Amino acid sequence: MHSHRLLTLTLIALTSALGGCVTATVQQVREAATGMSEGDSVVVLGRAGKARGAETEEDFVTCVGRNMGAGSDPIPVISEQEFKDALFPWFEPRIAPVAARELPELLAQPLMSERLQDIGLRYLIWVDGSTQRTDETGSMSCTVTPGAAGCFGFLSWEHDSSYEASVWDIHTGRPVGKVSSDATGTSYMPAVVVPLPFVARVRTQACNTLAGQLKTFIIEG
Amino acid sequence: MQQGLIQQSRIPSRWRRRLLRASLLGLVAGTLLGCAGADVAPEPTLLPVPLVERLPVTMGIHLPIAISEFVHEEELPNNGRWRIELGSAQQLMFENLASGLFIAHAAVADPAAPGPEVDGILVPNIEQLQFAIPSQTRTDFFEVWIKYQFRLLRPDGSMIAEWPLQAYGRANRRNYGFMEDTQNGALQAAAQLALRDAMAFFSFKFPRLPAVTTWLQEVAQQPKG
Repeated sequence: MHSHRLLTLTLIALTSALGGCVTATVQQVREAATGMSEGDSVVVLGRAGKARGAETEEDFVTCVGRNMGAGSDPIPVISEQEFKDALFPWFEPRIAPVAARELPELLAQPLMSERLQDIGLRYLIWVDGSTQRTDETGSMSCTVTPGAAGCFGFLSWEHDSSYEASVWDIHTGRPVGKVSSDATGTSYMPAVVVPLPFVARVRTQACNTLAGQLKTFIIEG
Repeated sequence: MQQGLIQQSRIPSRWRRRLLRASLLGLVAGTLLGCAGADVAPEPTLLPVPLVERLPVTMGIHLPIAISEFVHEEELPNNGRWRIELGSAQQLMFENLASGLFIAHAAVADPAAPGPEVDGILVPNIEQLQFAIPSQTRTDFFEVWIKYQFRLLRPDGSMIAEWPLQAYGRANRRNYGFMEDTQNGALQAAAQLALRDAMAFFSFKFPRLPAVTTWLQEVAQQPKG
């Protein structure tokens, strides 16, 4: 019995050490100087795909916006929904630009630029990318009987996040740079009676690094 | 190994059995509830006024009872009963649409007697609603299609134009957490997006319809009293 407990604890320690491991890299390219003035705000938008699955995940976009508006040196962030409502219907899925290069023409329209001034928007951040499950190995089987239930096996899977944020200056109508964030990580789930998932928070890590770098990019530019 | 771990437990065996039974019941109930369908009604306040150039006409809006009380109900085999109520959102939807699209608008109770102040009467109708859930399409998306049919009438009741409009909305079930009501939440979001899509597409399509363009020119040439 003692050896079983030892085995379980060893397995937990091993998977904890390996499971939470995420490798993230962030890069930036600057094309123009940036900075924020009193009353300026930013909005973070995800790519709105017309095809299923082509859009950036909604919760990722929300996460980047939330992180930029929190922590040290927070930046005022307009929510994506608030922005879409203010500029309705120009950013609805059927009409929204599918690539950042379509933004200047759209934002230059008199009605649009007037409304953008009203809401105090200085930078529009356009996030393109997604998180994919790239690999999956192992197997697990579970059994339920009247007296007991349990699982046995080992599963592992890998996630790969790749996002690129284009930053557009609303005042000049031009791009000021790009920040990209890539993260990979492997999750594990060993099961000796009870399955123990050790999930690598790949997308969260990609969100944190991208939001942090975007803040630095805008403020320190 | 399994037996060894169970022997470590200090919970009396009768309680273990009750706990297991309760867990199984919970699992079955959860599974059944997961198949219980949904009952949704889009939120009219989330249908904004479009930001477009206003057309220089006074538009009368007539909402037939069929659209203002529109409800779609459907029983899906092994997936429960589904209900999408669109009627309550229609009034504010067309009010906002008309506010953004026309310089003036008025509700018209009877298209046969619209009053002298309107240049035309818009009569929308919902011809069909379809929806799909992830278990049908093997995707992560709840989808809603709405087929509108529009008629534009002159104040004397004669037809200016009639055209269909297909609106579409979809919501990813992955945007809803484990503890959230995914079916109601995602279907509601899909229906909401379909209504926004209808408004967006109408805003762009209406001024570009050939018959509408001709009518707009007619109205512009009429002497204003």
